[in-house]
Amino acid sequence: MQPGMRLGEALSLCPDLALVEQDPATAEHEWEQLLKRLEDSGFAVEAAAVGCVYFETRGIERLYGGLEPALKRALAAVGAAWDARVGAAERRFAALAAAHVARSGQTVIVSDRKTRDFLAPLPLTLLPVDPERREELEELGVRRLGQLAGLPGAAVAERLGPDGRRAWSLARGEQRGKVRARKVTNELAETLEFPEAVANELTLRRALGALLDRLLSRPERRDRAVRKLALSAKLVGGGSWRRTITLRDATADRDRLRVALGSKLAELPAPVTRLGLELVELAQSVGRQLELVQPEGLELRAHLSEGLKQVRAGAGSGAVCSVVEVAPWSRIPEQRALLVPRDD
Amino acid sequence: MVANPRAESAAGSARRLNSPAVALVETHFDGSPCAVNRQQVALVREEWRVVDRWWTEQPVDRRYFDVVLASGENAVVFLDGEAQCWFSQRA
Repeated sequence: MQPGMRLGEALSLCPDLALVEQDPATAEHEWEQLLKRLEDSGFAVEAAAVGCVYFETRGIERLYGGLEPALKRALAAVGAAWDARVGAAERRFAALAAAHVARSGQTVIVSDRKTRDFLAPLPLTLLPVDPERREELEELGVRRLGQLAGLPGAAVAERLGPDGRRAWSLARGEQRGKVRARKVTNELAETLEFPEAVANELTLRRALGALLDRLLSRPERRDRAVRKLALSAKLVGGGSWRRTITLRDATADRDRLRVALGSKLAELPAPVTRLGLELVELAQSVGRQLELVQPEGLELRAHLSEGLKQVRAGAGSGAVCSVVEVAPWSRIPEQRALLVPRDD
Repeated sequence: MVANPRAESAAGSARRLNSPAVALVETHFDGSPCAVNRQQVALVREEWRVVDRWWTEQPVDRRYFDVVLASGENAVVFLDGEAQCWFSQRA
């Protein structure tokens, strides 16, 4: 089997193939557990994506007696089930490339002096650039990082733009990039199991309301407003579903949270057997600064204009209209007024 | 004559407010509605006719009914005399 292969082709090659439903909620949960195990071992982690994590070892090397023991500790924290590979280098991209070439359970350490030589024979697929840019480079005969690094920077920038310039810089092992460790948060999550699969939106909305009530009353929240939430569901077919919502303004207002989350329920692809809600990120501030003087005049118009701009951005141009009376005396109701789109 | 309410107007162009929408109406022998969109009619509050533009190529001939449904909801429906179809509209 190969990634991207058609289902029919795969089944004809392997008739006993077992098809597994996508389960992003479980995958994310397992990934979160892995990150917590690393954090428990003292590593301040930055999760780039599911399956890729960066951490600094400088502060923890003395605890474990050097770089290699620290990396071994990290591998042990991840666990054998994850088939983990570790790369260590002074620069992020070099560390990622080292992890890419490492075998399962192995650690590859690249010293800063040898970074460029180490990167030179590696393929361009490691670079974080658009596939189209990569194809463009390959058509020009550039297939290895070393070949890209050997080109003049100005010519690369002219041909491929800022992304190409950045890729060139990475290929030369120049960009350092800091590891920004995530903030450790208490898990605030609630789930609701249904005795049988539910597809009715009204029932789901009520369940969502109950989950919100439970979460908002948790003492660990300490009255802080919610910035980011994740709604997840276990589907009747065995798969799972998960949506993350980041609020423009952090809030602990139940009704606003219900409105923000309620629309996501319509995206559920199948009946659910379990609904879960998680407060992923909380705001630092407890209260909300209210205005001493009610806005009026120009300020009020500016607020209104900003609100309309957001509606237009969310629902598309033509979503905000004015009612213009054209024949209010008409006996035919639809001829009395027109809806005219506003673009101001 | 009723313009096709399903015809999409071009994005960004003006459109009519309160355009009629096709309704599913069952009638009594006298032509008054007894069910609107599968809801029973509890009361016919008012009935009126609009005949206009008979001199144009798009004449208007409508028989309006203002009804109260079994759910308590108010509705206004009309029978278009040209197309012989029922529509609902806020009058």
